[in-house]
Amino acid sequence: MRASFSPASLFHPTELGRISMTYLIRGKVALFLKVVAVGLISAVLLMLAQSSFAQHEYVISAFLALTMLALALTYLTKISIPLKFFIPGILLLIAFVIGPILYTVTMSGFNYKTGNLVSKEEAIVQIKARAVEAAPSGISFDLKLGRYKGQEAILVSDIANLTYFVSTADNRIPVAANDVTLNEYGVAITAPDFSALTDAEMAGADKTYSNVNFAYEGIYFIALEGFEAGIVSQQSLEYIADKDQFKNLINGSVYSDNGRGNYALPDDKTAILEPGWRAPIWFENYTKILTDSRVRGPLVRVFIWTVVFALLTVLTTFALGLLLALALNKPIHGRRIYRSILVLPYAMPSVMSILIWGGMFNTEFGAINTLLGTHIAWFSDPNFARVAVILVNLWLGFPYFYLISSGSLQAIPSELLEAAAIDGANPRQIFRKITLPLLLQILSPLLIASFAFNFNNFNLIYLLTGGGPRNELDGQIAGATDILISYTYKIAFGTGTQDLGLASAISLIIFVLVASISLYGLRKSKVLETFA
Amino acid sequence: MNTKRFGFAGVFAAFALAFSTLVAPSASAATEILVWADESRGPNLVKALATKSDWVPGYTVKVVTFSGFDALKAALDLATDSSGPDLVVGANDWVPAFAKSGKLAPYVPTAALKARFNPTQFLDLTYKGKVYGVPVDINNVAMIYNTKLVSSAPKTFGEMVSTYKSLKASKSLKAGLCIAGGGMSWGAHSVFSALGADAYQFNSRGGIVYGRTFSAATFGANVRKYLMDGKKSNGFFPATDTGCKDNFLAGNVPYAVIGNWEWADYVAKGFTMNLMPVPGVTEGTYGHMFGSVSGALLTSFAAKHGTEAGAKSLLTNFFASTDGQVRYQNLEKRPPAEKGAQSDASVSAAQRGFGSAASLAGIPQVGAFLNNNKGGANYWDSAPAYWTAVLIDGKDAVKEASKLAAIWRANVEAGKGDL
Repeated sequence: MRASFSPASLFHPTELGRISMTYLIRGKVALFLKVVAVGLISAVLLMLAQSSFAQHEYVISAFLALTMLALALTYLTKISIPLKFFIPGILLLIAFVIGPILYTVTMSGFNYKTGNLVSKEEAIVQIKARAVEAAPSGISFDLKLGRYKGQEAILVSDIANLTYFVSTADNRIPVAANDVTLNEYGVAITAPDFSALTDAEMAGADKTYSNVNFAYEGIYFIALEGFEAGIVSQQSLEYIADKDQFKNLINGSVYSDNGRGNYALPDDKTAILEPGWRAPIWFENYTKILTDSRVRGPLVRVFIWTVVFALLTVLTTFALGLLLALALNKPIHGRRIYRSILVLPYAMPSVMSILIWGGMFNTEFGAINTLLGTHIAWFSDPNFARVAVILVNLWLGFPYFYLISSGSLQAIPSELLEAAAIDGANPRQIFRKITLPLLLQILSPLLIASFAFNFNNFNLIYLLTGGGPRNELDGQIAGATDILISYTYKIAFGTGTQDLGLASAISLIIFVLVASISLYGLRKSKVLETFA
Repeated sequence: MNTKRFGFAGVFAAFALAFSTLVAPSASAATEILVWADESRGPNLVKALATKSDWVPGYTVKVVTFSGFDALKAALDLATDSSGPDLVVGANDWVPAFAKSGKLAPYVPTAALKARFNPTQFLDLTYKGKVYGVPVDINNVAMIYNTKLVSSAPKTFGEMVSTYKSLKASKSLKAGLCIAGGGMSWGAHSVFSALGADAYQFNSRGGIVYGRTFSAATFGANVRKYLMDGKKSNGFFPATDTGCKDNFLAGNVPYAVIGNWEWADYVAKGFTMNLMPVPGVTEGTYGHMFGSVSGALLTSFAAKHGTEAGAKSLLTNFFASTDGQVRYQNLEKRPPAEKGAQSDASVSAAQRGFGSAASLAGIPQVGAFLNNNKGGANYWDSAPAYWTAVLIDGKDAVKEASKLAAIWRANVEAGKGDL
């Protein structure tokens, strides 16, 4: 059905009388709604593109603009019908999966950490701003902002010595005490040829006046510290643009780009100017994983525990979930109530459950020790802490496997089970030879997904044990329950500084590991072939 | 594409452009100073600022509130030139990292302004010789004791232990002294200090002594004497802070260390208690607690917004003034940092109580020392680890104290360059 678009005909009474589902999907109303929907989405995208462009995020801005174009071409032309269904998924995949992966790959090659977060241009601006330092004398003055013979000027009051002067960028003009008018604090507010700024003018002139070095004595000038006070200051660094260097004006030393995101002294690499900038260091973050003993040392142990933790979690949650599903698959009294209760741990926010369990495992005040009459240091002993982690994850995870196992049991044809029973198989044999293999075939992708999820189960470890116990006094970094992702977090963010480049490198290694293990698992379970 | 389609595209384009114009964010006015604060301070700053219109003549002040300190810190991490604030009211230990990364800009307080504060408070806001803001309120802890269990203030640490042992069975006590506020490192420093382990040492002029640390033998011996029963904890001091508040309020613990921000909650629960620093091992001495300050910090975004002088004026006229701090702390109920505000009649008894505890035994929390990892671990990680190693794992109190001392000495030595 080809539609001609005219708002007048769209709402004609005869047309309204013919509205049906088909008409809504394919008719003029549908066309109108489509244009409105695409228009609205594009408007939001345009706004975001404009906003990101204004914030110099050009890649994001370009992506949003291209997204807008792609949506318009897809939905307002007949370029491809299948694309109309795929394009939202493709765009979201690019934005939230491929984009972050590419960004992580890129950042893993950069010196990107606390102190090296901004661009080089921004770093230069900030170093220049910090190069204004208070003079050793520590003198400050009360002042009034205004204009002196058309120039930006300040009327300065030296209240201690009862002297006054007007200062511009070029000159300092003394003013006799009897030529000024003082306010109640003894600060001069008027002087000959000096016109003070009004409140409104001051606010408008903030940037201009903040950037002026008002003349004082020799190398010293007065810098504003607000509208009411000025500090006698000096310039400590000068930027030499053609050489891309900073020169210390006090001792003559020269700071050059060290190729790692900082201006540094040539003979003392630790003497750097801050802030630095993001600079490419290529594979250094990867080599650091192998060469830095802090990172390399516990990596193997953490990796082994990560695999064990993920495997044990999947096995225990699956076993308990399946056991309960089998038990409740029989028509027993109160089955609905049991089913509802079993799903409760899954319905509770896991963050809350983890924190509650954390309290219950507390050595001194916890409910578990109180009930057992013991004094077990659950989170201080490595083995008990690991047991606690597995137990809490079992509590959090078994309802999921109970639910999917219950569903899968329904999908197994009852004829198979009946035939096996007629052939003389006992219930254990039926479960081992028929039910379990069929269940595993159905649930393998979910088991692998669960393994991958738990491989990176940061929330549980972070909230329950914080990766501990570990002996910080002996310099341990990784705790007994640290998994790769929590260990990465500790290295990257755990010391008051953020090393995002190193974190990106470790994240990529984890990504490759999880992807490899998952792919291997899928291949082994022949799920891919089944899908094919 | 036929002409109708061009028509549709035209409609769409016009619609999109018109709509985007309507919803595009407008740039903030150059005469507005933007302040970021957490969920507690933000609303109170709004009210305090509203009591007077000319804190900075010609400017309006807008306060944006975040859901918590962590959210505020994360937002500042991600702030850009267009979104960032001019001032942020944040923790003192944010200063080194944010200054290093260029998020904060230096501020030079005049001598007159500095004189209105305890000099060590500016140490909290200093990085590599530059100050990045002004102190706003004091965050500290103090010890409270349950007056239904204990009739008078303990004079020594040993007296508290004796009281605990004598009441343990009859009152079913679960512990003697626990940390309810500030955690096992920041909050527990007063216990470390009371037993002889200060994070860093001061000389007689109040200067920090680099390369020196506490005596591991003395501290370890005190831990053995007061907190241990052979190789096991005597139950007086739990190694973790979990459950401390609930058990103190339930009458199961006679002494607890709480943060000043929690006082109102304890009072609201109808609890009767007194406030004091943790007593030392000899009469008349007290454990030092961190009297750290929250600061109003100048950001580098202010210069880009063209509001730098205005933001600095707001620091001087509101955040660092007696008038501003009194108006603000009458709402926020924390001990004010400014001396004039501390002695103002309108400041509550609890604020004064915590303030006097801070002046009696407060030391600055210097992020340059406590946050760095030189020595194997930083203060925040190594302090709780000591309690675990000794009180739970039963390791030797003196030997572990030696390790702790070595870490802290290395922390201080490495951190002096950042001050």
